[in-house]
Amino acid sequence: MLPMARPAISGALSAARPRFVASLPRAQPLAALSTSSIKSATALERQPSAGAQQLTASGKARREVPLPSQEKKEGAMQYALTTLDQIANWARQSSLWPMTFGLACCAVEMMHLSTPRYDQDRLGIIFRASPRQSDVMIVAGTLTNKMAPALRQVYDQMPDPRWVISMGSCANGGGYYHYSYSVVRGCDRVVPVDIYVPGCPPTSEALMYGIFQLQKKMRHTRITRMWYRR
Amino acid sequence: MSTIVRTLRNLRRVGFKDAAHQMQYIGDTKAGTLIGIDRFGNKYFENLEELPLRTRWVDYKEAEYDASHIEPGWHAWISYLVDGPPHADKVMQSGFRPWEQSDHRPNPTLSRAAYKTYSTTRPKIAAWTPTAAPR
Repeated sequence: MLPMARPAISGALSAARPRFVASLPRAQPLAALSTSSIKSATALERQPSAGAQQLTASGKARREVPLPSQEKKEGAMQYALTTLDQIANWARQSSLWPMTFGLACCAVEMMHLSTPRYDQDRLGIIFRASPRQSDVMIVAGTLTNKMAPALRQVYDQMPDPRWVISMGSCANGGGYYHYSYSVVRGCDRVVPVDIYVPGCPPTSEALMYGIFQLQKKMRHTRITRMWYRR
Repeated sequence: MSTIVRTLRNLRRVGFKDAAHQMQYIGDTKAGTLIGIDRFGNKYFENLEELPLRTRWVDYKEAEYDASHIEPGWHAWISYLVDGPPHADKVMQSGFRPWEQSDHRPNPTLSRAAYKTYSTTRPKIAAWTPTAAPR
């Protein structure tokens, strides 16, 4: 999917492996001190089978397949559609109109993004007050139970394609108010979220970085190619 | 592109190839001295005649660039935390810090190395194989 990001990661990993292994023995005594039993991280607890082969969560043999985004282009049609996709993605990513859903202090940082220091207008990002004219919703702040139906309604009013940026700990997973009786534990319980921006509140730079990540996601969206594949 | 004069002046200084590259990635032509190249291959430039906070810039190696491609030392330099690049600045040569990662890992979001959520609590549902009596 991101052919340029992968060499960076693998190169960095391979460079660091010898030193990491050298420092590993220090961690073992700590693990031996632990008294809790090892719990497997699967959704369903299953009985240990006799076969020592590692199985997936669905019980099948593990098999590595390339993601749809990692498949190579083949044929003239795919090359033509790639160009079409690039044009559409360029248009999408360079005029990103967010629906502002400012709920708490994160909204102040979101406002800072539009002020001259971080100047979001140069990226083509213009806040729209109407959900029917916006592409992306920035959920900034604590989502309470009372506000959740309104959030969902606004999301439903947005035209496709639409994206959601969850900004701040409260919108990501409840954050400070996770155990409150009146707060939704993350806005991803109400709407599908594309980008999570961590922080309490995230800085304007962090939000801008999240927007860049969203633009990267848009760049790698295969609009007509997926249609052609189907 | 700021002004015609500045663009043409910097174009004369850096040449057509670099100027086209800069217009594609920075949106401006900039001429400066090459301060260094990090392990990943990003190039760092400086020109003190520019306006404040525009004097240091990076030319990313990857076309799909990301701010997390910059290593911590170079990040400190390009964010004006320190005066010199990591191989020359006194502050950056404070020795080995055990909590520090020996290598820099860029943000793995949207790659196969991205974080996936998982649960460590005991599941409330246990799987079994049902036995159906024949009718």
